[in-house]
Amino acid sequence: MDGSNGGVDQFWVCSVQKHDTVTELRFYMDPKGSLCSNNWARSACLTSPGNGLQTNMSSDPSPFCGVRIEAPFKDFNQPSTNQSLLMAEPNKDIKISDIENCPLTDSSSQTGKLQDWDPNVMLNNLSFLEEKIHQLQGLVHLIDNKKCQPFAQPDALVTQEQQLITADLTSIIVQLISTAGSLLPSVRHTLANTSPLVSQLSQLRGLNLPFGSGPSGGIQPQNNNVNKVFDQSTQNDVPNNCEVEQNNMEEHETKDEEDVEEGENLPPGSYEILQLEKEEILAPHTHFCTICGKGFKRDANLRMHMRGHGDEYKTPAALAKPHKETGSEPKLIKRYSCPYAGCKRNKDHKKFQPLKTILCVKNHYKRTHCDKSYTCSRCHTKKFSVMADLKTHEKHCGKDKWLCSCGTTFSRKDKLFGHIALFQGHTPAIPLEETKVPAAPTDLDSKDNTCDKVGNMNFCFGSNPPNENEVQNIMDVKGNIDDPINYFSSLNFEGCNFGGFNEFSQSPFEDSDASFSFLMSGSFNYAPKPGCESTSDNL
Amino acid sequence: MSESLLCVLTEDLLVRVLHHLHSDADRKSWRLVCKHLNRVESLTRTTIRILRIEFLLALLHKFRNIQELDLSLCPRIDDGAVKVMLSQGSPGWTRGLKRLVLSRATGLGHSGLEQLVRACPLLEAVDVSHCWGFGDREAAAISCGTRLREVNMDKCLGVTDIGLARIAVGCSRLERLSLKWCFEISDLGVDLLCKKCFYLKVLDVSYLKVTSKSLRSIASLLNLEVLVMVGCSLVDDVGLRYLENGCPLLKTIDVSRCNCISSSGLISLVSGHVDLVQIAAGYCLSELSGPLVHCLKNLEQLSVIRIDGVQVSDFFLQTIGKNCKFIVELGLSKCIGVTNMGILHLVSGCGSLKILDLTCCRSITDAAISTIADTCPDLVCLRLESCDMVTENCIYHLGSSCLLLEELDLTDCSGINDIALKYLSGCSELVRLKLGLCTNISNIGLSQIAYNCRKMAELDLYRCVYIGDDGLAALASGCKKLMKLNVSYCNRITDKGMEYLSHLGELSELEMRGLSNVTSIGIKAVALSCKRLADLDLKHCEKIDDSGFWALAFYSQNLRQKTCYAGNTWFLQPV
Repeated sequence: MDGSNGGVDQFWVCSVQKHDTVTELRFYMDPKGSLCSNNWARSACLTSPGNGLQTNMSSDPSPFCGVRIEAPFKDFNQPSTNQSLLMAEPNKDIKISDIENCPLTDSSSQTGKLQDWDPNVMLNNLSFLEEKIHQLQGLVHLIDNKKCQPFAQPDALVTQEQQLITADLTSIIVQLISTAGSLLPSVRHTLANTSPLVSQLSQLRGLNLPFGSGPSGGIQPQNNNVNKVFDQSTQNDVPNNCEVEQNNMEEHETKDEEDVEEGENLPPGSYEILQLEKEEILAPHTHFCTICGKGFKRDANLRMHMRGHGDEYKTPAALAKPHKETGSEPKLIKRYSCPYAGCKRNKDHKKFQPLKTILCVKNHYKRTHCDKSYTCSRCHTKKFSVMADLKTHEKHCGKDKWLCSCGTTFSRKDKLFGHIALFQGHTPAIPLEETKVPAAPTDLDSKDNTCDKVGNMNFCFGSNPPNENEVQNIMDVKGNIDDPINYFSSLNFEGCNFGGFNEFSQSPFEDSDASFSFLMSGSFNYAPKPGCESTSDNL
Repeated sequence: MSESLLCVLTEDLLVRVLHHLHSDADRKSWRLVCKHLNRVESLTRTTIRILRIEFLLALLHKFRNIQELDLSLCPRIDDGAVKVMLSQGSPGWTRGLKRLVLSRATGLGHSGLEQLVRACPLLEAVDVSHCWGFGDREAAAISCGTRLREVNMDKCLGVTDIGLARIAVGCSRLERLSLKWCFEISDLGVDLLCKKCFYLKVLDVSYLKVTSKSLRSIASLLNLEVLVMVGCSLVDDVGLRYLENGCPLLKTIDVSRCNCISSSGLISLVSGHVDLVQIAAGYCLSELSGPLVHCLKNLEQLSVIRIDGVQVSDFFLQTIGKNCKFIVELGLSKCIGVTNMGILHLVSGCGSLKILDLTCCRSITDAAISTIADTCPDLVCLRLESCDMVTENCIYHLGSSCLLLEELDLTDCSGINDIALKYLSGCSELVRLKLGLCTNISNIGLSQIAYNCRKMAELDLYRCVYIGDDGLAALASGCKKLMKLNVSYCNRITDKGMEYLSHLGELSELEMRGLSNVTSIGIKAVALSCKRLADLDLKHCEKIDDSGFWALAFYSQNLRQKTCYAGNTWFLQPV
């Protein structure tokens, strides 16, 4: 067990299980004998402030209920960040008790429960568990008897005996736990389920477990907790939910981290590279209702939706934005890698250019590695893989009326005039089917002008940030001119993000805000595009 | 003129003689002498103005050496007509054509215009002013004339920056360009124009929605001499400051009705161009500030200054009088603060003054006018509308001293009477005289004018209620060159007076509103004889009935515009 504790940092999935074990064991063991608990406390580096409370309990299931009830109260006393954490806790305990109670309660009901999870595969494991549990039961009875007989007689002999029993116990329990762990539907599930508990425990006990060095240590458990709240009622959905949660986590993370400070010439290794799978990237929704399964793009929307499922979701706590951890851990810069092998945005590429945000990943992947399934309804020729790009295009489609005699089109008059002023002999072309009404196009023109001005500002805004990365992007584009406009727009989008939303980077905006900033950056996407096109022309 | 005499004169001599005939009437007489003279005239004629499109082909055939073709009176000309002109007209008529006037040719389309422009290899000037339907396509058609130096596009409402860009790129030798009332043109177009047409000398951007940015572009024009920017209400002092350091050859500037400019802007402009010749800044300043007057002092070349509607001081007039010795024209119309004393100071230095506009300077009296008359013998034009205090005393001085006076506006000067007109008749060069609302004049005074001012071409007798048939009789016998006459509300005029008027062969514009005693007989007489009649206003002439209009429709072939409502139920437009 000592060794497992040391391995927490690197193999957190596994270590979390172990931690779990540790805690369960403690719960389980403490009432039985102080000799064991001492041992455990040392090896797991856990002091047990709840010891006294737990020792009072007997070995039947009820004490676990007691623990369950007590834990929240303890949490209340702490300067805890999160209400949802509390909500999640009982749930955790229920699960834990489900698993760990099996030696104590009748195992048939337990198997039934487990069968609900995964009916066919695990029967073997269960019978094995049963056997082990019986062994354990015997051992514990033994200890119990000994405890009763030589009351308060800590001899050396007794100690030796105890150590032997402890070793036995340990081996059995380790077997038990590993088997029980395999009963769980997926590793992810266990990860999602257990990690919060661990962090919770660490909070409870005021301990700093070396936990935060995991990829998304601080944020992950929280988000899980939030979603875990909804798990309570639908245990059957667990596998599915777990997937969802995983997505959620990453989404949240990236949204949180989206407005990270600029400076894209990060030395390799100074940031963390995350890589989402294709399916995750292309998933239309990232937040799912655990009750009805409806999908949402934003967590805020999901929370609003949840109100319809009962009063417990209407509490301010349930509706509140899940809080960011109060900065106890150092902020880790995260960058994203495209899962497409050979892509320059893939981490294995020689000149790897990481993507900044989850949205960048999504847009990049769709634009570069997906079919262009959205066709412009106006011109029926331009195709896009990102809906926002299509909308941007449709806004301007057909408006490229500023045509030079050389055949170049411009979306803005001033760009055309700049072009004409530059080149000798070039002259504006007049479209063939021009309406003969002088007044009507007049107004349009003036409107266009104002629009142009706005666009102009935006354009400068978007293209100004002196970002090395962006320059490199442009270079990149030159080599890859399959769809320049598309490419430009994506590139500019990033540019906008760099330049425009720095001010948000440090603000404690939560998910919903983050999603709004998504919105805003999305709308930003529109403006720079024409400008960029024309710069491409100027090039 | 006998045959032998004509034999002596060779053709080249005849041509030289012909060069001394300027007026149309004289040339007409020349043409009517004989075939030989007619041929000489048609061969040497360079300018032709088509009155009726029916004659166009024949005229083009006859006048082979024309350089200027004026189709402004043929608004019905269209693409088809152009095609016919180019295919059936004599083949060579377009070869030498340098100037094409298509003003108000609203029927012309861009393809016809393009054919026309392309057919004239030497074309240097095109006037398409008031073709309100013209847009970018027409501008593009004009831009085919690569040798064009002068383009007038006033009130081509559809022309946008694109059209202007076409012209700027196509006609890079452009020297004169008028864009007045082309409302669609913006800074972008002007900017491009200034980048492409370096040779621009005259530019009119009046009433455009251009800002000071345009002036920055315009300031880069090194050859610009004349800049007219009336009513550019978006231009401010910043723009004028651009001009301070640009346009080194600028001689004339018109910033009238530019609401956003102030004295400081004008000061910067003036200090940058000490050799300015003309300044017009009417209705853009509320008053002339002291520093601006000091700046004006430096403009020694200044000959024309128009500051209508501005509050002026005696000090300003004194400064001008002292420093601007070459001042020729001074416009003080509706200026507040013009006093006798100021005028005295002014004219004491400006003996060369030729045009003086004192419209609505109501505090001016005889003393000032007398001084003007005595010190400015070269005075050609004097406008005294609404100067109530003017009486016959000062007219006496005018009539005796200003013998070159050609134009005098005495509208609404109630002090003018027959005696004044008698004095005025000394100004035998008078061409334009406005006596509207001078209710104290009668036939006697008018007769004096008529008999002595035989060059009179334009006479306004609006609401001179004592004028009757006799006055018109005197006019008809004396002022044979009268072209414009306004006798509205002179109720004493009857059919007899109209018959007198019919002797005025040159009459082209006649306003006779509210002549309740004139019937169809009178109008028939005018229609029959006044062949040049083009504009006729018959409003409120209630006794004129169908027969009068039939006569007009039948006889007045050149009638272009006629106003007749109220009491008349039919509208004729025999165009």
